[in-house]
Amino acid sequence: MSWSDLGTIAPVVASVLVAAAILIVDLALPNRRQAIIATALGGLGIVAVVILLQAGHTGSAFGGAYSLDNLTVFLDMIFVAIAALTILFGVDYIEPRGLPIAEFAAILVFAVTGAMLIAGSTDLVLLFVALELMVLPGYVLAGFARRDPYSTEGAIKYFLLGSFSSAILLFGLAYVWGITGTTRVDGVTAALAKVAAGGSIQPGLAMGLAFMSAGVAFKMAAVPFHYWTPDAYQGSPTPITAYLSVGPKVGAFAIALRLFVGALGPLRADWLPVVIVLAALTMTLGNLVAISQDNVKRMLAYSSIAHTGYILVGLAAYAGGQHSGLSAILFYGAAYTFMNMGAFAVVAALQRRPGVSSQIATFAGLGRRDPWLGALMAVFLLSLTGIPPLAGFWAKAYVILAAVQAGGWLTALAVLAMVNAAAAAFYYLRVVVYMYMREPADELRPSSPGLLFRVGLGVTCVLTLVFGLFPAIAAAATNAAGVFGG
Amino acid sequence: MTLPILSLITFTPLVGVLALTVIPSRHEEIVRRTALGFALVAWGLSLLLLVAFAFGPGGFQFNETVDWIPAFGIQYKLGVDGLSVLMVVLTTTLTWISILASFGPIKERVKGYMISFLVLEVGMIGVFIALDFFLFYIFWEIVLVPMYLIIGIWGGSNRIYATMKFVLYTLVGSLLMLVAILATAFAFQAGHGGSWAGAFDYGQLQAWAAGGHFANDLQILAFLALFLAFAIKVPMFPFHTWLPDAHTEAPTAGSVILAGVLLKLGAYGLIRFAVPLYPFAAHTFAWPIIVLSVVAIVYGAIVSIVQPDLKRLVAYSSVSHMGFVTLGIFVFSATALQGAVLQMINHGLITGGLFLLVGMVYERTHDRTIAKMGGLAAAMPIWSTVFGFFILASAGLPGLSGFVGEFLIFVGSFGVAPVIALASIVVMVLAATYLLWMFQRVAFGALSDFLRGLGGHLTDISGTELVTLAPLAIGIVVLGLFPSLVLDLLRGPAQSFLAAAGVAVGG
Repeated sequence: MSWSDLGTIAPVVASVLVAAAILIVDLALPNRRQAIIATALGGLGIVAVVILLQAGHTGSAFGGAYSLDNLTVFLDMIFVAIAALTILFGVDYIEPRGLPIAEFAAILVFAVTGAMLIAGSTDLVLLFVALELMVLPGYVLAGFARRDPYSTEGAIKYFLLGSFSSAILLFGLAYVWGITGTTRVDGVTAALAKVAAGGSIQPGLAMGLAFMSAGVAFKMAAVPFHYWTPDAYQGSPTPITAYLSVGPKVGAFAIALRLFVGALGPLRADWLPVVIVLAALTMTLGNLVAISQDNVKRMLAYSSIAHTGYILVGLAAYAGGQHSGLSAILFYGAAYTFMNMGAFAVVAALQRRPGVSSQIATFAGLGRRDPWLGALMAVFLLSLTGIPPLAGFWAKAYVILAAVQAGGWLTALAVLAMVNAAAAAFYYLRVVVYMYMREPADELRPSSPGLLFRVGLGVTCVLTLVFGLFPAIAAAATNAAGVFGG
Repeated sequence: MTLPILSLITFTPLVGVLALTVIPSRHEEIVRRTALGFALVAWGLSLLLLVAFAFGPGGFQFNETVDWIPAFGIQYKLGVDGLSVLMVVLTTTLTWISILASFGPIKERVKGYMISFLVLEVGMIGVFIALDFFLFYIFWEIVLVPMYLIIGIWGGSNRIYATMKFVLYTLVGSLLMLVAILATAFAFQAGHGGSWAGAFDYGQLQAWAAGGHFANDLQILAFLALFLAFAIKVPMFPFHTWLPDAHTEAPTAGSVILAGVLLKLGAYGLIRFAVPLYPFAAHTFAWPIIVLSVVAIVYGAIVSIVQPDLKRLVAYSSVSHMGFVTLGIFVFSATALQGAVLQMINHGLITGGLFLLVGMVYERTHDRTIAKMGGLAAAMPIWSTVFGFFILASAGLPGLSGFVGEFLIFVGSFGVAPVIALASIVVMVLAATYLLWMFQRVAFGALSDFLRGLGGHLTDISGTELVTLAPLAIGIVVLGLFPSLVLDLLRGPAQSFLAAAGVAVGG
């Protein structure tokens, strides 16, 4: 290790320091919530600056285990934004329930540190360690409302299935190591390129591929590995659900990029059919089940499964020979992050006072009771539906463009994705129907969330609109995707 | 650079939306008048456009081009030919009429209503003037949301079912259309050495199509996807089932716009995109589509006869009338196409007027059941006279515009398929049957018990209501007597349509 290594991983180091600082502030100034929140948000601001200072630079640290490139920077920015937004949304919700703010913030920042480490991992062992750093705090967060049996149940399911899938993934990684003799991504790529050139792949490698696919599919909640999602999402405190629906998911796609696109790229013709099947199953089942949900949180949980399916279409397009599939994935990840967090945040705003349920009836008459909150929710839902000119539309358009370009089976997959998007309109618009076309069942006062919360909602809404009207972020996504050649 | 009049027309309503957002919603009267004001400005600008439009040459005028997403060659490109100009004027006219007609009936959430209407206008105008395939799609989708809200919030008792049905039908079609648009652009890009430049540009795509460069299987699939989207919107049999529900539940002005403009979006899409870009596929499927059109014409008319509800009757008559339009498009004759476009305008004027008139009765009686009506000629003489006028126009009385459009379609299609033309003429008898019979039951005879029970509420139509009807009536008479005003504008578009569609005929 040298000082230059530390410079390369500066964002990760900064992020760990922020988490530590939060805990120290909590220790030194107990019950000073402002100080804790200021430390967390200020610290994340510094981390963002550090990341931006690295923009355009490339480098590697620890003998090639960690790489700094455009992809790292792009993903790191998303992860920091996710952390900051979660804190903005979380304070108003955590406090009235008597849960500790400092632990919440610190655990969250640790989780995001893991995600950032994934973004730069170019070594299979580091990738796994980073993954665990991301998901272990996630289990804690899911069970954060420890007196709530639903929260605990969701956390246990998440933990058991999550650990199980991590083990499966690790098993797959071990096969790759056994066959290629290295854990460095570039070494694996070179070794596998020879294998791919030789024609058929050995049974061991096929086993490894299967294990790794299953492991990653678990993490991104792809059907049929999605069982943990609805319970974990519904049981968790809503702002944490907002985090779980984007943080670990974008993290899982970061793994997919570093592992499947990076290390296993030479074998992409072998994993293409798997991705196509996963994508088709994931979006179809996610949407079908979402249609029948009466709880908005659970509905959004299934809808997030459907979105995983759309993103997988981008991955399939890449494997089918269209490099633009990768920038489509990255754009989708960014757009999805903001619109989905926004939608969950509105649910959280309604549930600010303990005891308010996330049943769809809670939304009845929201458009009149709370015009701003209603309008924001409408924007997020329309964006999730994919109505232009909002972010979600471009996300879908780029994915479909890549898939149509790849042709063949992928065109059929694109058509299936669009049929799914139309079906999804039903359950998203159903919430709009409740908000604007039905009278409230009982007299709920406007929820009037706090300032931090409003800032968070404002940011997500503006980004949803800006990505839609000026899809220039696509250029950044293209840059980031350029890491993998092309 | 000259005045960007097309952008001005398109975004004047959007400025109106911004203005409305700062007006507090309790000042309902100011909100109403501001919305009307902006709609009138857009209307005035569109009339200016009509005057400034050069009649002689074909091709597109007032072009505006700005690069939007250069990476994929997507442009903000606008332009109008005779067809677009007419559709824009129809849109702006019906929009201000609809807004004025909503002054009385809409009393709840006026601000949201007016904002929805102005956003709707932006989308509708945009569809008619976009010359970039992708931009067209975006405007197309923008139309969806405000109409969804208008039906769903301000509609009748079964509004939620109706609006969800409307949205889901439309979305299924339009999302498949997106795939087709992208596939087309990709085929263009692949044919140009991987360069995206012009891949969504209407002129370049059409030139490429005219050269026969789009492979036949791509044409078939893309055409089917576009056709589905447009056929749902028109709506063609058997994709029409959303229409009676949407019309019945929508507020009066919503029905006017739905019938007057939204249905035309589908027909416009067929004329502008589906046929010229995929001529091979258009010819392959021409016969099935002609048959479906005739089925729609006959079926719509027969079903209209038995409708118990005034609005539902007018809605089903739309299915029949729009069948003439699709028939006129797919017989590939200049006369029939001109007739089809004229029929689009007529249908907008006549059906728009009929919905307004039915809405006026509903305002006073809160009922639309034909069986409960009777004797309105005595109670509301002016209303009955105007209603009779629109009924006769709808039935195709010579001298009024409805006759000219249908006549041109007969003439045009007779040369292609006499049987089809004859079958359609029979429908004119059916149309006279359901319209006149309905008029007789509503207007003549003694005042029904139901209406007598309303007593003094049954006032004749007001000055404002007459103002909303007058432009439509004038349009019907003028186009009936001087159809050449419109037909001259359409000669260029009809020729280029046939030239684009004719490729596959020649070889």
